[in-house]
This record gives sequence, structure tokens and C-alpha cells, in this order.
Amino acid sequence: MTAVLQKKICMLGGFSVGKTSLVKRYVQSVFSETYLTTVGVKIDKKTVDLSDRIVNLILWDLAGEDDINSLRMTNLRGAAGYVLVADGTRPSTLDVALSLHKRVEADFGPLPFVLLLNKSDLKEQWAISDIAVAELQQKGWWVQPSSARTGEGVEAAFKDLAVRASS
Amino acid sequence: MSTSPDILEGLLRPSSGDDAIDRKALAKLLVEIAESLRPELRAGRNGVLPRDLQLEQLRTLLLGGEIETLSRLIGVVDDPEHLAAAVGRVLPSAIAQATSDARMGHVLAPVMEKAAESSIRNDPGTLINILYPTIVPAIRKSIGETIDETFQRLNQALKYSLTWRGLKWRWEAWRTGLSFAEVVLKHTLIYQVEHVFLVHRHTGLLIAHVAAENAVSQDPQLVSSMLVAIQDFVRDSFSGAEQGLDSLRLGELRLWSEPGPFAALVAVIRGDPPEGLHDTLRNALSHIHAERHRALESFNGDSDGFGDVEAQLRELVALGEHAAPRVTRGRVVLLGWLLLLLLLAGAWVAWWWYDQRLWEGYLERLRAQPGIVITEAGQRDGKFVVSGLRDPLAVDPQALLRDAGVNPARVVASWLPYQALDPQSVLKRIKATLDPPPSVTLEIGVNRIVARGSAPRAWLERARAVARSLPAGSTSFDFAGVSNADEADEQRQELAERQRQADEDQWQAYVARLRAEPGIVITQSEARDDRFIVSGLRDPLAIDPLKLLGEAGIDPARVEAHFDPYQGLEPQFVLKRLQAFLNPPPGVTFAVDGDRIVAQGSASSPWIARAREAGRLLPAGAPIFDLSAVRNISEGALGKLRDTIQAHNILFDNNVSLPKAGQDAILDQLAGELTELATMSSNLHVVTRVTLTGHSDDKGGGTSNLSLSLARAEAVRALLKKRGVDPDLLAVRGAGPLEPLEADTSEAARSANRRVSFSVGIEEQP
Repeated sequence: MTAVLQKKICMLGGFSVGKTSLVKRYVQSVFSETYLTTVGVKIDKKTVDLSDRIVNLILWDLAGEDDINSLRMTNLRGAAGYVLVADGTRPSTLDVALSLHKRVEADFGPLPFVLLLNKSDLKEQWAISDIAVAELQQKGWWVQPSSARTGEGVEAAFKDLAVRASS
Repeated sequence: MSTSPDILEGLLRPSSGDDAIDRKALAKLLVEIAESLRPELRAGRNGVLPRDLQLEQLRTLLLGGEIETLSRLIGVVDDPEHLAAAVGRVLPSAIAQATSDARMGHVLAPVMEKAAESSIRNDPGTLINILYPTIVPAIRKSIGETIDETFQRLNQALKYSLTWRGLKWRWEAWRTGLSFAEVVLKHTLIYQVEHVFLVHRHTGLLIAHVAAENAVSQDPQLVSSMLVAIQDFVRDSFSGAEQGLDSLRLGELRLWSEPGPFAALVAVIRGDPPEGLHDTLRNALSHIHAERHRALESFNGDSDGFGDVEAQLRELVALGEHAAPRVTRGRVVLLGWLLLLLLLAGAWVAWWWYDQRLWEGYLERLRAQPGIVITEAGQRDGKFVVSGLRDPLAVDPQALLRDAGVNPARVVASWLPYQALDPQSVLKRIKATLDPPPSVTLEIGVNRIVARGSAPRAWLERARAVARSLPAGSTSFDFAGVSNADEADEQRQELAERQRQADEDQWQAYVARLRAEPGIVITQSEARDDRFIVSGLRDPLAIDPLKLLGEAGIDPARVEAHFDPYQGLEPQFVLKRLQAFLNPPPGVTFAVDGDRIVAQGSASSPWIARAREAGRLLPAGAPIFDLSAVRNISEGALGKLRDTIQAHNILFDNNVSLPKAGQDAILDQLAGELTELATMSSNLHVVTRVTLTGHSDDKGGGTSNLSLSLARAEAVRALLKKRGVDPDLLAVRGAGPLEPLEADTSEAARSANRRVSFSVGIEEQP
């Protein structure tokens, strides 16, 4: 029998980087987006089938805020990993993602995470240099361009996170 | 006509479904024709209105109908009133058509809201007036439903009052002290636990979830995390809500959350759960924590192995109370009445049967009782009748009635007294009469009542009297087996009395002995409280009463003796006092002879003189002290011997310290006499001392004469020692010429004076 695991994963990112769109299209969702504006959290589930086990990623989509101080850290409690989302067309969102990463690392220590540079379909508006990406990758970061529209990178990112969070 | 080009444009716009004519092309063509005809028209197209008649004619020719229509339309559109009227004509149908479009609602909602809001603000009365006809019935309906529900509950209560369950609840109400309504309410609460989530508190991950069969919900894993997120939200948002939500109510649904150290138990309940369900949930949660503490603490998202927890949750989901199936009220009532009648009939039969059994049982018990003889028993006019004989000591039939459970009011009894002679009754009578102490057991033997044990003498005597007074033909009473409990006591008392008597005798003997003692006068003596008291007079010389006590075998500690000193005049006593005072020499004995004290023996003259003096000093009335029988030791044989020895003189020649010739015979005789003196004085218990005094004549010097005289005495002592005389008896002294035998100065006198003379002193032994 294949083992079924659950892992809590948080979706973090600046305002309108497309977290919700990523989630909306590629995960199993039952709650409406109003939760994000009321409770500040929306829970979704992404089932990743690894060959030896099935990992249910319980995705905590936290309300996008550019001000990281307003992030409710209690929502990150018990997370097995997280997804940082930045908008590839807006470099400032990468900065937000980096500071979110710092904040999380400071509060919860090192956790598995992936950095998604979203909206990769908007090639002509792309504003993040490959050098910056390479720098992050050199730090051992798992950086992945993604697109909610084309689905690029999303499955791979979740799969990678599932592998790392459940290993 | 500033708008005409626009109108033209409008007219030339291709209309759907009219592809046959290219209106635009046609219009262009027409305009070109017109311009070629009238070049000035080109300017007119750019703002200047053409007022050319021909053109007008052409236009009228070509577009007469359209222009008319157009102008009419322009009139309508430009004039707000006409436009409003026109729109007003089509608006209802337009809205009606647009209703199917979902956007319509969205578009209209804010307007409607605003309109309603301002309308209500302006005049709430309008709204009330409008809503009144609808809202009041709604309220009425709601109240009606509530009342219906209440009635339904009431009906249930009534219904249950005639069902087995209802009776059970009545019983429960009676047992617990709650009102019946409360018990019914408690049991008719209708609820169902639909979901139970066991949620890991730290991660919000679902550990286990169980849903009721008919319950539907979204993905429980998502629900569980969302619940935790909402908990966090509440906790973060409101101070004082550290516990988070413990209860949520959403219409019919309730969401109860019980927090635990590692996991929270969330139950989704439909209906009205009793408050006690909280406890059930809490207990289940703590049970799970107790059992799976370690697993919960280290939960990492793998919910495998929580199968047993799921089983426990399933038990919770099974909780619920369903409304009892409806039963037609009429039938229930009928059934109830029938049941009641049946019950009543059954109860009456059972009661009658039970009553009979009770009565029979009572009669059985009565018959079995000794001292009761039933002569008649039966039933008359619904009452029980019994009559017979009863020994007054037999059991009280009334008491037996109560024991048997028969109502005494329903019994008519008549008993004639008699004395039963059966062993039981006799035993009872004996018991009643004698009231045996606990140490005595009475039992029925063969034709007799046997008593065993021990009892006081008084009781034994009473028992004897009772045994004698038993009627002829009755069972006899044998109490030979009862020992006298007082026997040991009596023996002890007797022993004590004997002891006391012995003590008393001993005391009396002692007192008598004291009385007999001289020098002791007893003035009072008694034995009181185990003590002896004696007082009187006692001569200090009398015997010590204490010493006598020891001889009499009486413990001195038990005696209080008080003696005043006095001088006794009894002869024995006087004798004793004289003896103490005079300390008679060994040769003297005192004896009482009648009222005289006679001294016998021999004593020295000084002692005799002292004794005489003492005799004289005796008080009047005292016995006479007779000393006549005491001889003076200086007289008699000792005196004669003394005189003989003293008559001797050993003579010496002039100026010679050794005796002259011819003196040996005298010395020999002297030696014999001195030895006899020693023997005699020893026998007579006197001390004799012989002093040898040497003398010289008056010639020669004084000093030489003195030493010569001493030398002569020494020489004689040596000679006597040689002859066996103890020298210690002999003292020597020299007198010189000072104690001449003859005072003459003649030679003969001098010769006589040169001598050693002997003097014998006799004294009582010290």
C-alpha cells in the first residue's frame, strides 16, 4: 500500500504576484477567494504522486502583502515547506520574496522552499536578469520560472517541494 | 444640421443580415455625383449646411422616407422628455428580456440597494407598510412552528407517558429528582454528530476524520486546515480569545471544538446536542491523548496507524438521538388505556393472590408459634378472622402481622389467655421470670429446660424457686449446669475475712504481749482499716515494741505506735534500771523476790556502797533493794589470804639488797599464797594487785636507802617470779626508811625494819 502523507506548505509572495492564480489552476480548491480577504488564508490541496508515496500538500495561500510585517506568522506554524512567488515582470516582488524568506527563516529556521518567478509567459515584460537568478541558484535555491497561464514550472515546483518536504 | 454627417454615418452603418447592398459605397457614389454637379457642396460637407434646393430634391427623391424617420428619431433622442417617454415605453420589456442575463442583477443590485436605503431612511413607515402584510404572517408562521414544535414535544411527553419508554422516564425522573418534562426533554433532544475531525494543532493537518453515513462535506483535509486557520484568525484578531473558537453555530449545524495538548477534536453536529456531549468529546480526546500521546506529539503528516483512533471517533459519530417515529396519537391513547386496564386487572389479581398468600403465610407462622393455638381462622366481610388461645408470653400476633405484611386493620383477632406447657413457652416464661444474665444459656432438652453457664448466687436461688413453682405436667427446669459465679468471690471474701481475723489475732497477741512487758503501759490499741494503732507509756528501758512486732510477725508498716516515756516501778523493771545504773560486777546477780529486788554475790566495798545509795534513792512505792546477800569480797577467804600475805615480811641484812638467810621458806610460802590469790581472784572476778614495798633502816643516806629499798622489793619480786608467780601481779616500790615497822632506833628495831612488806589491793573487775 502506498503511504499517504500530508504536509503543510505555505504560499508566500508579494501583492498580485499570481499566487492565487497558480493555486487556482493547478490544485484542488474548495474554498472561495473571499477567505483570503476575510480570514487571510485560503487552504488548497495539491496531491503529488511520488512513485513510492502520495504526498498531499496542504497549501496555505496567505494573503499577499507587500508589507511583510503584516504577515501573520502564526499561519506558518507547523509548515513543512513553502513556495515563494515573485512576479518576473516586477523586480520589487522578488525583493519582497527575499525578505519574506528571511523573515520565515528567522522565525522557523531553514525549511524546504521553492522560488517561483511567475508570469513567465510575459517574455517581453520580463525584468529579472538571468544573473540574479543564477546568483540565487548558486546559493542552492530552487528557482523556477512559472506561468499560471501556460503551467510552466508549477508541477515541477510542487513535486520538488513534495520530495523535499516528505523526505 | 450639424449632426447630419453623423446621421449619415449612422444610416450607412451596415446592418446585420443586409449584405446585398453596400450602403456605404452607394452613399459615396451619391455624394460624388452631387459634388461633381455642385463643386461648392464639397465645402458644405465640412460643416456648412447645404441648402441647395436641387440637392434637397435629390435627397428627398432618394431618401425621403428615411429622412422623415430620421428627423423623427432625432426629435425623440434630442428631447429628453421624448427620450424618457420612449425609453419608458420599452424599459419594462427591456429589463424583462435582460433578466436572463446574470449581469443584470449585479448591475441593478447596488442601485436597488441605494434606492431602498434612501427610501427607508426617508420614511421607514413605507417599508413597514409594504413589509407588514408579508412579514407578520412570516413571524406568525415562525411562532406557529415554534408552538407546533412545543406541542410536538408535549405530545411526545404525553405519548411517552403511556409507553414503556415513558414509564422508564417517569422512573428516571422519580429516581433522579428531575421533573418529568426535563427528563423527556433530555431524551428527545434530536441531534446527530455528523463529522468528527481529529486535527493536529501544530500543523493543522488532519489526523483522522470520520463522517456519519449520510453526511457530506468537502475534503476533510482542507476543512481541517481551514478550521485551524480560522482558529488562528480568531486568536490573532481578538484579545482574550487565546482558547480560539470552541463553538460555532451555523443554522442547524454546530461546530464544537475541544482543544487538547497536541490535537483538537472538532465535531460537527446537526441539531441540539445536550451539553453533556462536551464531556463525551473531552473524554474521548483525553482518552486518545492518553493512548497515543507519543504518536500525536511526533505527528508528521502520516496518518497511517491511527486506525484505532478512527474507531474511537466512529463511536462519537454514532452519537445522536433520533426523534421517535411518529405514532398516531389516537391509537397510542387507546393502546394506553387498554394496557392500563389490563395492568389494573392484572394488578388486582396479583394483589388478591398476594393478599391470600400473605394471610396463609401469617396463619402458618402463627401455628408454628409456641404458646398459640388457633381454633378458628377464616374470612368474613372482606376481613380476616382468627381466634384461639394464646399464652401471654407467646409472640404478639399483632407484631407478627406486621412482619407478615398483612394490614392489621383488616384482621379481627380474639385470643383467650392460657398457660402453655410446651417447652418453648415454658422456656419463654422462665426467661421472662428469671431474666437470666448473659452468662446463662437456656435451651430445650429432653422434657426439660436446661440452663448452663454461671450466675450469681441470688439468681441461682431465684432459679431454684422458679423450678419448684413450675406447674405439674410441665417441662422441668434443670439448672444444675449453672455454676455459682459468686463462688470464687465468696471464697475470696472468706479468705480475706480469715486473713483479717488472723491479723487481728496476731495483733491482739502482740498487744497482750506488750501489756505483759514491764515498763510498757498500753492505753489504747485498735485495728482499723487494715492498720494497727497502739499508744501508751513506755519506760525507756522497756523492750522496744517494734522489735516485738517483728517477733509477732506483724508488718511494722501497718502499725502506728505512739508511746510516751515514763518510769516503771515494777520490780523487774526497777531491777533492770538498777542493773543499768549500777552495772553490777560479774559476781553479783539481781533477782526479783516478791516485791523486793535481791542482789546476791560478792562485790567490792565501793560498789556495795554505791548500791546502797541507789537503793535508798528508789522512789516510794518501788520495790526494796535488798543488798544483804552481797558479800564484801575483802572479807572471807580472799580477805584471809590477803591478811596472810600482808602478814609476811622478808627480812634483810644491813645494807644488803638480797634477803637474809632463812627467808626462803617464807618466800616459798608466799609464792604459794600469791598463786592461790591469783586463782581465787580470777574465780571471784576481781582484780587483785600485790604491791611489794622495800624498806630500809634509818641508817645511811636517804637516797641510798630509797634505792636500796626499791632494790630489795625488786629482788623479792625476782625471787617470787622464780617461784612461779606472775610478775605482772606484783608491783614494786621503795619506801626507804619512811615507813618503819618499829620506830625504835634499837638494832632489833632496825633489823625488823629492813624488810619487804606486801600489801594486797582487791578491786572489782572493770
